[in-house]
Amino acid sequence: MNQDAKQVVLIKSSPKMTEESTSGLLTDKLENLMKTERLEIYRINVRKSLIQGKTEADFEAMLKADALVFVFPLYVFCLPGMLMRFLQDYYAFGLNRPDRKKTRVYAVVNCGFTEAGINQEAVRVIKSFSQKTNYDFRFGIMIGGGGLLLGAQEAPFMKKTMTELGNSLKQIVYDIKNCPDDRVENISITMNFPRRLYHFMGNRGWFSMAKKNGLQKKDLYRKPYERYTD
Amino acid sequence: MQAILISDKEYQTEAYKRLNQLVTIFLTEKGMKLTETQLDRNDLAFCKGCFGCWIKKPGECVISDAMAQINHGFINSQLAIYLCPVIFGQFSSNIKNALDRCIPNILPFFETRPDGSTMHPARYRSYPKQIIIGYGDDLSEEDRNLFIDITKKHRRNVEVLIYQGNDAEISQALSQMELKKAGDEL
Ligand SMILES: Cc1cc2nc3c(=O)[nH]c(=O)nc-3n(C[C@H](O)[C@H](O)[C@H](O)COP(=O)(O)O)c2cc1C
Repeated sequence: MNQDAKQVVLIKSSPKMTEESTSGLLTDKLENLMKTERLEIYRINVRKSLIQGKTEADFEAMLKADALVFVFPLYVFCLPGMLMRFLQDYYAFGLNRPDRKKTRVYAVVNCGFTEAGINQEAVRVIKSFSQKTNYDFRFGIMIGGGGLLLGAQEAPFMKKTMTELGNSLKQIVYDIKNCPDDRVENISITMNFPRRLYHFMGNRGWFSMAKKNGLQKKDLYRKPYERYTD
Repeated sequence: MQAILISDKEYQTEAYKRLNQLVTIFLTEKGMKLTETQLDRNDLAFCKGCFGCWIKKPGECVISDAMAQINHGFINSQLAIYLCPVIFGQFSSNIKNALDRCIPNILPFFETRPDGSTMHPARYRSYPKQIIIGYGDDLSEEDRNLFIDITKKHRRNVEVLIYQGNDAEISQALSQMELKKAGDEL
């Protein structure tokens, strides 16, 4: 173990169970970049941590870290309830601990809609958390159309976006390693893909997934809770 | 007239108790029939992001717990009020689980709204009027603004109030609102 190496906790917070997630992919990318820079990494899967009741070990790692990176999807324009549970419990756990450091905090948020900017409030929540814990919030990366990363990251039209994304993740690594004091703006990553086509393909996708589940097109419009039938 | 009231059992502070009493009296005087659900930390499972509510069992969450009852009550009410602790400028976890798991009530498709933003279309013809009342002791201005922005920047037909101990302010705000079903604009 390298005594001088910075310790980073990567906190993957997609509520998905076993399915592949965009947050998982982004966490992997960060982990690879950090390994080549010889940062020491502790990785948390928030769902597993909560469900398997191993938050205590994870919270200890977070309390000792030099940097925390939260990687999560946007749920109803802010943090998923699952991540809020983790943050609330962490806050309660660390409240009276004397060994607190001025940890650096980053957020990597992706959403389903194409507009990267709608992730801004989620980044502000992570900033607010950092203020309450006396941490140093640095910046967030806000990604629109996050689902495309899973399906099409190798496609030629994604090349420009993938380069931009890679550079933004490298900026987190740089910031952790070199601890600059200057203010850094949040970074927006927008897919290089026409919005109308994204909507068209997305909508077709819902029908084809439903079909695989044995449903017809009209079934998608069911109103199970409507009482009146006019 | 039916109303549902959703609150967080984990944060039943003095402020919460006063707020709950204030809202309950106000709605009862208006002739509303109130159903209250107090959510504790293990009452609702976390959404698991599977979209089963859109492509497996359209309109219903595939997890079977108290959420089915809440969503049923929601769709069949004129009014839905959330009494919500403001934590880090956001909804507390218990309330947010209920909000995350509201997505069965909308359709999966992507739509561009007149202002250029994206939204999903409505599944039902109308929804209850939704009022979110945030509370917390000594909330910073930054957190109060954030709590409002999270909803008001992105959603239509949802009102947001913040309770800081001023009963008259909340009563007045409520009395100026139309307490009946909103349309299908989300
Ligand atoms: C309950 C729920 C709420 C969501 N809310 C939003 C939203 O408000 N805006 C948005 O653009 N995407 C929203 N999404 C879509 C996710 O952000 C998107 O699918 C993301 O890529 C998932 O990331 P993950 O694979 O890391 O979980 C929501 C998804 C779910 C399941």
